[in-house]
Amino acid sequence: MSNLESLIQTKNKSVLELKNITKEYQDNKSRVKTKHTVINNLNLNIKDGEFVTIVGPSGCGKSTLLNLVAGLDQTFGGSIQVDDKPLALSPSTDRVVVFQEGALFPWLTVYGNIEFGLAIGKVPKKQRNEKVKKLIEMIQLTNFTNAYIHQLSGGMKQRVAIARALALDPKILLMDEPFAALDVQTKRMLYSHLLRIHDETKKTILFVTHNIHEAVALGDRVIIMSPKLANIKKEISVNIPRPRSIDHPFVETITKEIISESDGLSIKNGLIGIDPKNKDQENDNSTTTF
Amino acid sequence: MLKIQDQVSSVRKIDLEELSNTILFIAVFIGIWQLAYLSGIWPKVSLPSPLLVLESFIELIQDNTLLVSIGVTLYRLLIGFAASIAIGIGIGLAMVKFTGFGKTMSSFAIGLQSFPSVAWVPFAILLIGLNDAGILFVVIMSSVFSVMMSAYSGIRNIPPIYLKAARNMGAKGFSLFRHLMIPAATPALIIGIKQAWSFAWHALVGAEILMAASIGIGHIMLIGREFQLMDQIIASMITIFALGMIFDKIIFAKLEDKVREKWGLRQEQDIENK
Repeated sequence: MSNLESLIQTKNKSVLELKNITKEYQDNKSRVKTKHTVINNLNLNIKDGEFVTIVGPSGCGKSTLLNLVAGLDQTFGGSIQVDDKPLALSPSTDRVVVFQEGALFPWLTVYGNIEFGLAIGKVPKKQRNEKVKKLIEMIQLTNFTNAYIHQLSGGMKQRVAIARALALDPKILLMDEPFAALDVQTKRMLYSHLLRIHDETKKTILFVTHNIHEAVALGDRVIIMSPKLANIKKEISVNIPRPRSIDHPFVETITKEIISESDGLSIKNGLIGIDPKNKDQENDNSTTTF
Repeated sequence: MLKIQDQVSSVRKIDLEELSNTILFIAVFIGIWQLAYLSGIWPKVSLPSPLLVLESFIELIQDNTLLVSIGVTLYRLLIGFAASIAIGIGIGLAMVKFTGFGKTMSSFAIGLQSFPSVAWVPFAILLIGLNDAGILFVVIMSSVFSVMMSAYSGIRNIPPIYLKAARNMGAKGFSLFRHLMIPAATPALIIGIKQAWSFAWHALVGAEILMAASIGIGHIMLIGREFQLMDQIIASMITIFALGMIFDKIIFAKLEDKVREKWGLRQEQDIENK
């Protein structure tokens, strides 16, 4: 590990700054008002071009955190700064979300879906056309330009969702478990796509997942959250050079390391989706999820 | 290529079979009618023969009454229907925006949706008078609530993730309405509009007869009743039937099909049909 430390991508400017973030839910249904703290005093800095993954079991507040950054939920304590500006002053199109699934619009074609944000922003037709075509090429779906969403496979849909978000040229791409509903093989394909797209666009990406292997394979930094603390439990730098292969041996090493350390997080071992390529025992933990 | 040709020929075969079935059905129907006429149970004035009705049809076409009447009736329908859609969607949107109003209005509208259209006639005559505006009032009142309810529930049932995604991509206010709400609610809206069309059609013919329209299909029937011209009445009935079929089978069926195809609903239904 230590000999790889020098390979940490260091970029100076921070794009996203989270300071003392606190989020509480009030349970109004029961007579006695109970407060439930999901995020407690969390601090996080993300640098320009960094690929940060947040991993943790359900209920640890990772999706809540993403919603806060996206501006979809505006009641919280603390401050969020995007590009040194408070969240309220930064347009929502600076922080576009790729949702889990089913967020593409069925009444539009692949082209129409990717164009959506640009049409809302009243970008001139000619510019729109160029941009959308470029993005369709990037996600390698040129033959499906005029297909409707129901004609695509699950993996293709998520590629369109990524392109739709990138069309707005956001400062930060937020991804909320975008591959959770896909099968293992499709996931692997999409990891490669996403890594390639990240290399090509140099976008800052904040990626939320409950899959440790996914978090390690994709991220420069893995943030592990715990529901007990309602905060970050640990931060791990993944020093695998880019352009990166998802089969890099360090992916397995680091994944195992995280799993062995996080006994407090109640892990179900290797039951969910064993990768068909790495079926040997050594790699059983590769797809371990929280 | 072979596969495509196979499909085309099989489609034609089904069409041909359907067509011959329809022709057979009509032939049997006319046959029974002719037999009833020949039996002499009813006098000729009450039940004319199919041939007499055909003659009356030709007469009505020749002196231009039928075409003009159809034109005027469809004109009224178009205006009343368009007004219903505009008013219905407008109020439906207001219902979504103001939740309190929406709740009250929706229970009110559900009651009015099943309110018989001819029951509006006396009210319309005294309020507006025996004229075109009165007829339009009846048509609009009979159909507007279907559009209203479909717009209201269509927009309310839009999956929240669509709204979330659209807002995240910068849509708000009018652009959210135009780019998201209307297209997302279209399948529900089309069902409501189709229902509104049939309500409007019922109401229009009823109002034309009861409100003594000076011209129109209802007017031909009114004259037929006054002068005991059963052949003319039956000819008008057939016209009304045919117009209904044309709108339903051609315009609305195509519209629904298109939406289904876009949304990926058609294939499932096709499989069910097979």
